Amino acid sequence: MWRTSLRAGCRGCRGFGPKGIWGSHAVRRCSAPAPALPAGRITARQAVDVWKRHFEERGVTEPDNSSHYIIAHLLGAKTIESLEHGKLTEFLSREKTEQMWQLCTRRLSRMPVQYVIEEWDFRDLTLKMRPPVFIPRPETEELVELMLTDLEMEPGAKVGADGQRTCLEVGCGSGAISLSLLNSMPQLKSIAVDQSQDAVDLTRENALRLGLQDRLQVYCIDVLKDAETVVSLCSPVSALVSNPPYLFSEDMTSLEPEIFRFEDHAALDGGKDGLKVIKQILTVAPQILTNHGRVYLEVDPRHPPLIRQWVEANVEEMHYVETRHDINGRPRFCILQKKKSNKDHRLDQD
Amino acid sequence: MAYRRAVSLLLRRSECVSNPCTPRLLKSSNISSQTLRFHDHCIRTTRSVHTCTPLMVARLLSVDELFAKRSLQEYLKKMETEYDECLRETEEQSNEDELRARRIRASLLAPLIHSIRELNTKQKDFAETETLLKDEDPALRELAELERESCLQHIRDLSQKILDLLIPEEEADLSDLVLEVTAGIGGQEAMLFSAEMFDMYQGYAQHQGWSFDILEHTTSEIGGLRHASASISGPQSYKRMKFEAGVHRVQRVPKTEKQGRMHTSTMTVAVLPQPTEIFHDQPEGPEDRNEESKGAGGQHVNTTDSAVRIVHLPTGVVAECQQERSQLKNREKAMKALRAKLYSMKLEEETSKRYNQRKIQIGTKGRSEKIRTYNFAQDRVTDHRIGMTVHDVKNFLLGEDLLDEMNSSLQEFSNQETLIELLGENDQEGS
Repeated sequence: MWRTSLRAGCRGCRGFGPKGIWGSHAVRRCSAPAPALPAGRITARQAVDVWKRHFEERGVTEPDNSSHYIIAHLLGAKTIESLEHGKLTEFLSREKTEQMWQLCTRRLSRMPVQYVIEEWDFRDLTLKMRPPVFIPRPETEELVELMLTDLEMEPGAKVGADGQRTCLEVGCGSGAISLSLLNSMPQLKSIAVDQSQDAVDLTRENALRLGLQDRLQVYCIDVLKDAETVVSLCSPVSALVSNPPYLFSEDMTSLEPEIFRFEDHAALDGGKDGLKVIKQILTVAPQILTNHGRVYLEVDPRHPPLIRQWVEANVEEMHYVETRHDINGRPRFCILQKKKSNKDHRLDQD
Repeated sequence: MAYRRAVSLLLRRSECVSNPCTPRLLKSSNISSQTLRFHDHCIRTTRSVHTCTPLMVARLLSVDELFAKRSLQEYLKKMETEYDECLRETEEQSNEDELRARRIRASLLAPLIHSIRELNTKQKDFAETETLLKDEDPALRELAELERESCLQHIRDLSQKILDLLIPEEEADLSDLVLEVTAGIGGQEAMLFSAEMFDMYQGYAQHQGWSFDILEHTTSEIGGLRHASASISGPQSYKRMKFEAGVHRVQRVPKTEKQGRMHTSTMTVAVLPQPTEIFHDQPEGPEDRNEESKGAGGQHVNTTDSAVRIVHLPTGVVAECQQERSQLKNREKAMKALRAKLYSMKLEEETSKRYNQRKIQIGTKGRSEKIRTYNFAQDRVTDHRIGMTVHDVKNFLLGEDLLDEMNSSLQEFSNQETLIELLGENDQEGS
């Protein structure tokens, strides 16, 4: 019993992320023992209470939510509130009890709940989650929301022989943004790129599960190293969206273990000023976008004025339209637009 | 509905012949109680509907009785006059707004006036059949009989139609609703009862073809419900559900009771009209969303806490939701609940003034009224507002026909109260 829990706990600690940061540091933490499997039968509610207490004792963040989401998932619901009543007071089968213990032990190693249950919701979709692919944040739901409102209002440039609109996502991760857009706009086509093969695989998997694979192309490209491929493969598009790595390098060390140990650092670290990838995207954008095409970015709250200044000084073809705030009132989203250019006839769609 | 059906059963004599059990109408001197028992040969079980009317509640008047009232006749004449005036005025030169107002008024009255005139015609026809009945030719007499029957039917239908048209449609009647159930007095038993009631309404929504979307659901340790709310939408949903608002009482031996004693527990139902998107937009005034500030948020944080709590700052009204894993979805649900609360507050003033004198209260005045008792020992459900008792509690709690019938009776009673008010009488007056 002990060995199985140990193995289960360590599954998430296999060397992901940049080399050297893992290793012994992670393994040491994983050896925290789990509470023993109960000898007799217990109810779901009792299992939740045992593990909630244990999470609290071990300093695992959000002990309540963690045990609630895990038990709900095991019992076939998304949240504990939406469980059929009476389910919590029912006795768990032996199998379910073991599964509960297995999953909660993973959480004990600070593995994010989303990786423990291997799925999470984003807007209307349920997506598969797998370490180290970046887990979508609630703020990003708003990015999609504002993009949809924008796209629906503006007639926009029609690209492609069949008159369908195309959108490009840089750094797709699990595919949350692209798939959400495709799901809400049946006439949209999307291209998604990510420098991580794991992300590309997961996005493709999610697209297939949602039946959206016909309108989505996914490529493994690093926009920093290989901008030309992005331009040749992906242009022209009428919208570019990204939730790029935007953390400042110095902030990486203060991240919670959930993020630091399990999520791909390349999806988080934006360099000294957090703008490394953002700047590259904005530099390349004029070559990819149609005239009046827009860029939608999620950024760090400190970024918007910095981006505006930088764009005005360095990217003549892009015009900074506006900054939007997230649900917590922080400046979070930047919208930019490509000014009409006379340079490239290929992109001149007016 | 049951009362009216029973009364019309009496009048259709031809049908009564084939029915083995003839309904009997009993009338005693001071308490006007009518006991009707009938076997519906289509359904095996016997359902008894007692309408015992205590002295303070006026009984439900029949269509004929209402039409016999002079106040109604005068009112109808008044409507006809108003209609003619509206039409006449539009021919003359008046200012634009007045002209438009009169035209609108005329078009609103048109269906009513049309029905009134049709009714008058049918009544004339009916009078003519009287003379034909006395004719010597038996064939003609037979024809007259048939004609008479048909006229009577038309008259009845038109009368009902006119009554329906007289009752003004309330703005809220067109909306959807947010249902809130809260356990009241009685601890665990009250919470268990709340859970059963929530299920009943879910069943009712399904029975009526409405959607039932749970916004919030807080359970107790043994499977009871502390409080829950759901967004219900569909045709006539608010119009029907509004009669469910108030305190419901249960009398039974609780599951938790070890000594077999009877307990009385309560739960409260609140019904908030939910404006459809066309009527009302975002709530006015600043809102305070999630107060949690976890530093910079975004990529800095991994959280599974997607609960949303919205405070409408100008009024202090709060709505919460944590039903979903997606924060956006929780926000949408919380906004729905918030809008419903604000809208219902807005309507509150109007309705409380209008419903002030009535037996069937809508709005906050009605919220603390004990409206119904579910007695398991006697296997009955009694609605105290109209003094109606139905048997078979278990069946009632399915939220199907039995609840529907009671609801329809409440509707009829409420309509009648509206009518009486409209006619300017108080309800002590009989016909």
